[in-house]
Amino acid sequence: MTLIASNFVDWEFGTVDRRIFWDSAIYEREMEQIFARSWLFVAHESQVEAPGSFITTYMGEDSVIVARADAQTINVFLNSCPHRGNRVCFADSGQGRQFTCNYHGWAFGLGGELKKMPKMGLYKSTPGFRMEDWGLKRARVATYKGLVFATFSEDAPSLDDWLGDFRWYLDAVLDAEDGGTEFLPGGATRSVMRCNWKFPADNFVGDIYHALWTHLGGSEPTLGRHGGVKVENSGSYQVSVNGHGWEFNDSFLGNAATMGDRDLLRYMRSRQEAITARLGKFRSDMWGSVASATIFPNFSFLPGYFTFRTFQPKGPLKTEIHAWTLVPRNMPDDIKDRFRRGSMRTFSPSGLLEMDDGENWEHSTSANAGWVTRNQRLCYAMAPEGEEVDASLPGTVSSGQLSDANQRLFYKRWAEMMDAGSWADIPMATKSANVEAAE
Amino acid sequence: MSAALDRKPDYSTYPRLSREEARVAANQLLSMRGDGVPVASDLLAEIEAFYRMEARLLDEERHDEWYDLLADDLFYWMPLRENRYRRDPRPEIDPNNMALFDDCKADIAIRIGRLASNLVWTEDPPTRHVYIVSNVEAFETDKPEEYEIHYAFVQYRNRSEHDEATLHGRRRDVLRHVGNGFQVARRLILLPQSVLLTKNLSAFF
Repeated sequence: MTLIASNFVDWEFGTVDRRIFWDSAIYEREMEQIFARSWLFVAHESQVEAPGSFITTYMGEDSVIVARADAQTINVFLNSCPHRGNRVCFADSGQGRQFTCNYHGWAFGLGGELKKMPKMGLYKSTPGFRMEDWGLKRARVATYKGLVFATFSEDAPSLDDWLGDFRWYLDAVLDAEDGGTEFLPGGATRSVMRCNWKFPADNFVGDIYHALWTHLGGSEPTLGRHGGVKVENSGSYQVSVNGHGWEFNDSFLGNAATMGDRDLLRYMRSRQEAITARLGKFRSDMWGSVASATIFPNFSFLPGYFTFRTFQPKGPLKTEIHAWTLVPRNMPDDIKDRFRRGSMRTFSPSGLLEMDDGENWEHSTSANAGWVTRNQRLCYAMAPEGEEVDASLPGTVSSGQLSDANQRLFYKRWAEMMDAGSWADIPMATKSANVEAAE
Repeated sequence: MSAALDRKPDYSTYPRLSREEARVAANQLLSMRGDGVPVASDLLAEIEAFYRMEARLLDEERHDEWYDLLADDLFYWMPLRENRYRRDPRPEIDPNNMALFDDCKADIAIRIGRLASNLVWTEDPPTRHVYIVSNVEAFETDKPEEYEIHYAFVQYRNRSEHDEATLHGRRRDVLRHVGNGFQVARRLILLPQSVLLTKNLSAFF
């Protein structure tokens, strides 16, 4: 059977075939067409600060090492020995000069190059064997304001083209303050959900709608019954660029308020003037507002809590969440500590809000075990006022954060990448002049 | 004050720790090595009975009664675990790192408030819990009314049809004698999992 992904998605009206959350052939195609080609988030520069420091993570289901070789160079390469295939690094993070495979002792440098192995003379005397042919396969690496991305696609467009005008919005969280950003220490908070990876990714790309119901209980202690979360379609937006999406309002602190820390909010308010001077009022209002975002395909964040997370696919029915908290590097230590605790109390496996989400995604996935059930389509049709477009802003912008606009465009990009034989078949949004000028 | 009975509590008035107080508590927990003088056997029996009772209160979702077993200066901590090489010089557990719980008593009250809101769809129908507490060792400390406790637990939970998780862990407590009973003043919960192999920690430990 030829798999034509665009048949599974009607992105114009808004329906999605439920088999894309279940079918293992579709999942395998995603690994090849989406995860082996996309620019994927792999690290924040602050995680690999000193030469020799490394972390391990995943690109799709491929285990990779992210290693700092020198002040200018971060390398990303497969964490699998080309000799017999064993992992070469078993630590989540650390510091060293080489990675030595446990099996036969092949040793690789900070660029993945094969450096030496026991009884090296036996290979040196093997006709046709060349050390340089047997390094760990390297990915292309690029960064945007502290975030490190990698792709295994040799001919992918540049990261700047991939992110396009989304960079202008990203600055609302990555460049709000002088001095850059960092991840708070301690590694990733990791947990497993028995759901398809696309449910959390589509939730973050544009689904504020769920918060009004799913999170009633989680937000009540800090905000009061039905009281706190103000979500309206006035003063709010959805923006989509190349499948990346951000839904947000202009509340400045709407998300941050649910952490229930008055001292933290007081501090954030004290920064409003400076951030407005830096970014302008429109983007300053996005800093901690009621908002969520996904960078296609599986890297998401929440302004206000500043939790950044990847939804790592582990088969069609399983996803691992890896989460970190991002803060401006120059923020006072006491405020960083308040974000450490605040993001944990809301969006971590023990978080008052995250605990509400997982069960939804698990059952949205497991229900598809039913043959009749999975041959239904899901409704992504919400488009109030036909989604009035705001052309004055970069990207595809619609008024009102309560809509399915970003999710439809996420699945449009999903289908385009699934079906495209080459990058020429994947349309990239034109970058607008004001974003280029801002760089 | 009962966290659930007070329908609109002002959590800002609930007991909190300063960052410095939390660090002192964390460092005390990390320094506890179980090398002090063991408590007398009758006291050990009382302490074990306390933990059996605590486990039952949690199994039965009697959160307000459990809350009363917590001292006002509670520090309640479940650090993240990371896979690191033995040669790595960094302390594996550091109070400045991200954590799964890093709570004071007010934070626990907010968590109980969430459950008591009756708006938490993922706990309705309720999860069924069974705690098993074992391997209890208790030691004297510098303070006559406080004891250093080391023990292990199993927490099984099940909800809906096939949804289940079993979490094993170790705990270290500073347990304080108050009147005829005890209060938990400090608690370190060490889960062995670096990737939490379940979707959430919707439970108390």
